[in-house]
Amino acid sequence: MASETGESIRPGRTYIPWDDLPVKRETVAGVGTVIPVVVLYLLIAVLPIAFAFWASLHEIHTLNPEWQWAGLANYREVLNISTFWGSLWRGIVYMVGSTLLQLGVGLWMALVLNRITRGQKLLTAVVFTAYLIPTIIVSLVAMRVFDPASGVFQMIGAEWLGLWGGREAPLGSRDWAMQLLILIGTWKFAVFVTIFTLAQLRAIPDRFYEAAKVCGANRWQMFRDITLPRLMGIVTVVVLLRSVFMFNKFDIIWQLTEGGPGNATTTLPVLAYKTVYTDQAYGLANAISVVMFLFLLASAIIYFQLFNPSEEVETTT
Amino acid sequence: MSQSESPGGIFGLSYDGETRVFEALKLVSTAIIVLVGAWPIYWITQLAFTEYETVEDDVVTVFPTPDIFTFGNFTVLTDPEMYTYMFNTVVVAIGTIVTVVLVSLIAGYGLARLDFPQKENFARILLIGYLFSPIVIGIPLYQIWQSIGLLGTRFGLIIALSAISMPFAVWLMWKYIMTIPAAHEEAAWVDGASRWRGFRDVVVPQCRPAIIAAALFAFALAWNDFTFAQILLPQTDTTTFAPGILRAMGQTQFLPDAYLMAISLAMTLPPLLFAYFMQSYLLKGFQVRAL
Repeated sequence: MASETGESIRPGRTYIPWDDLPVKRETVAGVGTVIPVVVLYLLIAVLPIAFAFWASLHEIHTLNPEWQWAGLANYREVLNISTFWGSLWRGIVYMVGSTLLQLGVGLWMALVLNRITRGQKLLTAVVFTAYLIPTIIVSLVAMRVFDPASGVFQMIGAEWLGLWGGREAPLGSRDWAMQLLILIGTWKFAVFVTIFTLAQLRAIPDRFYEAAKVCGANRWQMFRDITLPRLMGIVTVVVLLRSVFMFNKFDIIWQLTEGGPGNATTTLPVLAYKTVYTDQAYGLANAISVVMFLFLLASAIIYFQLFNPSEEVETTT
Repeated sequence: MSQSESPGGIFGLSYDGETRVFEALKLVSTAIIVLVGAWPIYWITQLAFTEYETVEDDVVTVFPTPDIFTFGNFTVLTDPEMYTYMFNTVVVAIGTIVTVVLVSLIAGYGLARLDFPQKENFARILLIGYLFSPIVIGIPLYQIWQSIGLLGTRFGLIIALSAISMPFAVWLMWKYIMTIPAAHEEAAWVDGASRWRGFRDVVVPQCRPAIIAAALFAFALAWNDFTFAQILLPQTDTTTFAPGILRAMGQTQFLPDAYLMAISLAMTLPPLLFAYFMQSYLLKGFQVRAL
């Protein structure tokens, strides 16, 4: 390569005898480029997880940082407390419900946005905004419109549809809290699916459809044989990411219901947070975190075995 | 294409009939998207311009008619506390974007162009980072940050948020740089450019869509973040928008809904502008197909 030979004869540079060293220059440079990532990753992912694992083996009071060795007692406690299994189940319901709904809505929005002719740019911007605005704003609006006193959706639901009582707060009712959380989350996070799938749709050349039309294909056949195969690869990736994100979701649940009413919307992240700050059991919370991580890791491995998202879809452009 | 199916439209419709049904479905879908997508933004806007006494009343108003219209709600933006929250959020967002773009560009280039052992596995391990919930990382990070003095600083939050956006951004950049023909760089080397020159003048300008996509992803994360800020910025006076406003609502102070909506509108406008002007780059940058 030209650069490597050219550099050593330039004046004013220290000469490094790459040919005599056991490592190649390219290896050093390559490793060098990923060092910042590795440092950040160690600091934010590996170190906290190791810390969490170590802490989970201790009895720790949140406000009194005195660690007492407890062995696996925290894990035994986690598996025995009734709220854990309930939270795991609610977490799975929330994850599966949200992911399926978001996938359906997101794909549908992408297909429509790809085909409309007028106002496409503006509508796409409005749709994308949903993903970019802070979750807290979505929560504020949701709390406002479901407010029992002056919320417009509360009023529509109570007076026109008869879903809940006139002075009842839907977000505080056992029947509705979980469904509403999934719906409100979908408004915001379905756009994540839309962004990825729309990017794929834009990349399909028109001539594919023209050729299919000449061959006498109808719209369904075109969708099945041209559009869908192009989308499958990214859909498996997006489903994985969305499931993980929804399972780990804490902010929107905490802002809207704080896990209530009772434990009706307490998923595992909410349970872990409550264990730290309400029950003051720092060690136990870390045990919950580790169990959560192991659960996700096992699920992800199974998912990879079933769908293999790293396999590139064969496409000829 | 299978030849066994009879030619013509779905359900035996003629081509014209099929097109008409398709157009009608498209129109209905568009109407629903406009209604559902734009509605909350409209609701924020109309409440932000309505006098707060009216908003506090137990009536539903749908439009700020002249007798209840006001700009007065926006005075909340000059409130020193709210101003601090928003300023902190902006600083954190910019810091995260800069860190993420720089680090992911360099790492993405290394993964795409330089050969070093275990690089495929490196990228895969990086993606495992996504299995950690912010809450799982945040709870231990509180103690770690406390012991090294980063707790309660914007810098500490920027580091945490950058690391969270990093796996995805690196992956995006890596896959994108792979689509740029290596011949472009080789041509520069032949003309005597160093690898760094080739990177700076050949690769980076072509990466613009991926840079914008990564920046937007980092922006969305930082602008959205509640969990990390809630845990890592415990003092009320140094925190960012999301936890700050939730705490302000919890305390008994004067903060009517109309004011909240005025702040929300101010926080919604930058993303809306980004989404409008950057969408073509964004969609190009996200054209990655597999892990």
